[in-house]
Order: sequence, then structure tokens, then C-alpha cells
Amino acid sequence: MTVTNIQKSQEGKLFIILFLISILLSYIGIFGIHDPTIMPNYFIALVVSFILTKKAKLNLNKLVIIGVVTDILAGQLIGQYGLIFINIYIAYLITNKILIIKYEKQIESLSILLILFGFLILWLTSQSYGIPIIPKAILFQSILTFIAYLFFRVIIKTYLSR
Amino acid sequence: MMGSDYRYQFLIKLKAEVPIIVSPINNLINLPVTLFRDSKNNFITKELLIEKIQNLEATIYSLSIQVQENKLLKSENNTLRDTLNIHKKFNILGDNAEIILPNVRNGYSVITINKGIKHNIKAGSAVINNFGLVGQIINVSETYSEIRPLTSKAYAVPAIIDNGKENIILYGNGNGELEIPLFPASSLIKINDTFVTSGVDRLYPKGILIGKVSQIKPTTSPKFNYIVVTPFFQATTFSQITVLKIKK
Repeated sequence: MTVTNIQKSQEGKLFIILFLISILLSYIGIFGIHDPTIMPNYFIALVVSFILTKKAKLNLNKLVIIGVVTDILAGQLIGQYGLIFINIYIAYLITNKILIIKYEKQIESLSILLILFGFLILWLTSQSYGIPIIPKAILFQSILTFIAYLFFRVIIKTYLSR
Repeated sequence: MMGSDYRYQFLIKLKAEVPIIVSPINNLINLPVTLFRDSKNNFITKELLIEKIQNLEATIYSLSIQVQENKLLKSENNTLRDTLNIHKKFNILGDNAEIILPNVRNGYSVITINKGIKHNIKAGSAVINNFGLVGQIINVSETYSEIRPLTSKAYAVPAIIDNGKENIILYGNGNGELEIPLFPASSLIKINDTFVTSGVDRLYPKGILIGKVSQIKPTTSPKFNYIVVTPFFQATTFSQITVLKIKK
């Protein structure tokens, strides 16, 4: 196996491990808090972190499959997370076409934008299909999701730089 | 995809048919709590057991007095019903179950209980406990079921003030409370008034406690007030619930 192939498989493994951890975490409140509004969206954080670090070679097909799996295990409507992930990915591609993103500060700003965009799609689809969601909590959840994104980013960088 | 799922409820059916995926996650999350509870039970001392027995005996004694009072009230009630020719049954039949974690799922409020299809639990059944109304079963799988709490935004329940004057519908606001968006300002209502189920939907038996009025706010229209009701039930303060049987 070549070095590139080993790295690819490592990235894939890390994505699957973090995805499973995200499912587990999405079932638990932080520090035993049982308020569903006080928890981040780990899936959006995970996808944004992998897209921005350009790891695991995520593409539209993979994101649709990940989205459907997320919906089945922790979602409310089949296709909702697929749509969110696709939109995040397309938004990232468009931003990359328009701007040259190379500095850390740019990446962090873009991550905030992508997370907010993800939540916007989540809110819009939830409204369309009558899924209860609290608009006031979205901003707070976005902040928590950004923190989760930073954690994922650190894990990705630490694990893949070995 | 979303449209067809919304229409045909694939995900709910899928989740009910494939508990094999979610059950291990549930068990894994519950493992620390289960282990703690089991080890606590194993290491319980003799003194503690004696103390518990004494407490239980005291409770039984006070409850037996209450039972006597209730028997008297029941017979009086029956006599009055016979005299007034009112015949109505208040039998509440159900299965007891225990709440297991989690009660959040990816940002949504869900109460999971340890009984499912195997125990004849059916989707749509009402759920109550000793504090009052808990919610409604929305998803049933082989060994566990999910309850939508009454404070969930997609929840509505017909209710009546315990003095029997105002018949209204309470809506969950998704924020741990219930609300009445437009309550007639001419109707008499005050803070701490208690709401109970009215039973008009034939899903919830009449007279089950729901919550008490915590806020009365004026709306843009002078004819209506906005009422906030705090439920008696809190998902974290109890572990036993009763799933009511659906009447055919």
C-alpha cells in the first residue's frame, strides 16, 4: 500500500470513529443536562471540520449517504441531514471559487458561516415539515456546535499528523 | 426524499423495525447508570434495609387511612351518581414502565421507556404518572418505546380548569412549558390555577393533572390573554410511568 493510500484509509477510519462518537454524544446531554436545546449539533460540526480540513475525500455522494445514515440513527426526517450536508459542501465549493482561503482566521470564519448555514437549512426544513425546533436556541446551539467543531479539528489534526 | 418520508412516515416505521441499531447505543448510554444502580443495590447495608422497611410501613399506614377515606368518598359518589342517574366509568388501565436514558436526541426532546411491542405497548397511547400527564407514545420498537413529552411543540391536549369552568386546548411550546395563545380575557383565571385533562378527545382519561398557570400576559388584542402553564411532570424527577391502554 502506498503512503497516500494509507493516509486515505486512516482518514476514512477517523471519520467513521468520529461519526460513531457523534451518534453516541447526540444521545447524551452535556454534563447530564437534559435540556435538548443546550447541546451542539455534532454532525454539522463533524462534516464542517472534515470539509475544511480536506480530509476523508468527502464528496456529494458520500455526504448524501452520511446524511441518510444520520437521519436514520439520530434524525427526524429522511433526507434532512443529506440536504444540510450537501448545502454546506456546495457553499464551501462556491466560497473557494470566489475567494482564496489559506489563513487560519479565514478558515475559522468560514467554519462559522458554514455552521450557521447548516442551521439555517435545518431550521427551514424543520419549519417546512412541522418538526418542532426552537428558533431562539439555534444561535446558542451554533456556538456550541462551533466549539464541537474546534474539538473535532484538533482531533483530526492530532491524529493525522502522527 | 423528505416529502415522501413526511407523507409515508418511513423513518418512524424504519426506527420501529430496526431496533438492533439503536438498542446497543441505548444500552451503552445506560450502562453507567445501570452499573451504579446494580452496585448500589448489591452493597446496601442491613441498617439501610431496616430503615427502608420502617419508612415503607409508615407510608403503608398513612396510605391505608387515605384508602379508607377514598372508599367512603367512592361509595358516597356512587350513591349520588345513582340518585342523579349519572353513569360513567373512570377505570384507568395501563402498563407500568420505567424511563431509561436518553431523554434528548440530537437536540430533540424524547423520553425513552423500557417497554415496547413485546409488552403490548402501542403507538398513540397516553402516558401518565403519579405527578400527572407525561405525554404520548410516538414510536414503538421491540423492547422500548419513545414518548413525546407534553411540552413538545407538536403536542396539544384538551384541558379544563379543575373548577370545571373553562374548556380549552393546551399546546406544548417546546420550551418545557405549555401555552394557551389566545385565552378569552373575560374568563376568570389566576396564577396557580390547575389544569386537568377534560377527556373530550377520548384519548386521555378525564381529570389527570397537567399543570398550573404560571404566567398571564396580555396580547395585542385586548380580548385575549396569553397563558403559560408549567407542567407538574418533569422528565428528570421520576422514573416510573404508566402507559394507558387504548380504548377500542
